[in-house]
Amino acid sequence: MKKLGVDVLAISVDSKFSHKIWQEEELSKMVDGGVPFPMLSDAGGRIGKLYGVYDEENGVNIRGRFLIDPDGVIQAMEVMTPPVGRNFAELIRQIKAYQHVIKTGEVCPAGWQPGKTTLKPSPDLVGKVWKVWKPDAELG
Amino acid sequence: MTATAGKAAPDFEAPAYDQSEGFTNVKLSDYKGKWVVVCFYPGDFTYV
Repeated sequence: MKKLGVDVLAISVDSKFSHKIWQEEELSKMVDGGVPFPMLSDAGGRIGKLYGVYDEENGVNIRGRFLIDPDGVIQAMEVMTPPVGRNFAELIRQIKAYQHVIKTGEVCPAGWQPGKTTLKPSPDLVGKVWKVWKPDAELG
Repeated sequence: MTATAGKAAPDFEAPAYDQSEGFTNVKLSDYKGKWVVVCFYPGDFTYV
């Protein structure tokens, strides 16, 4: 994430004290040097409610991931219930794609990966996407 | 204001723990000009 120029903020309803001990007792043993981003304390789910991820019944924030661009606009979001973890590779793909879009004005079709075909939106492309983008070749 | 794709991210400020800075305060709007991933998770010391 550092390489992509992206900052991470992790948020749960736990206290900052709990975050500290979790980092020291467990995370630092999973990740060399510990996780390199701030862990925020969202007591009562105040922030989670703003983002639609607070579960009132259980008093926790479910898994929500929001990609925010340099203008402060949410470009992508994903919300998952607790038992399944996220796919980090998909987040990286989305970051690279959105950064490409902002840099070039080109758009990234389904399944896009760096180096794959992008599309340049123009009136000429309407109805002609099939000529430049083949699902079998791009997604296969 | 709730979070919507394509719209401004709701601002927030919260107490935080950061391994390099210790206890600190984090405000989303301080990150203007940067890409940010905001990640909610159920709780410390859980399994997944």
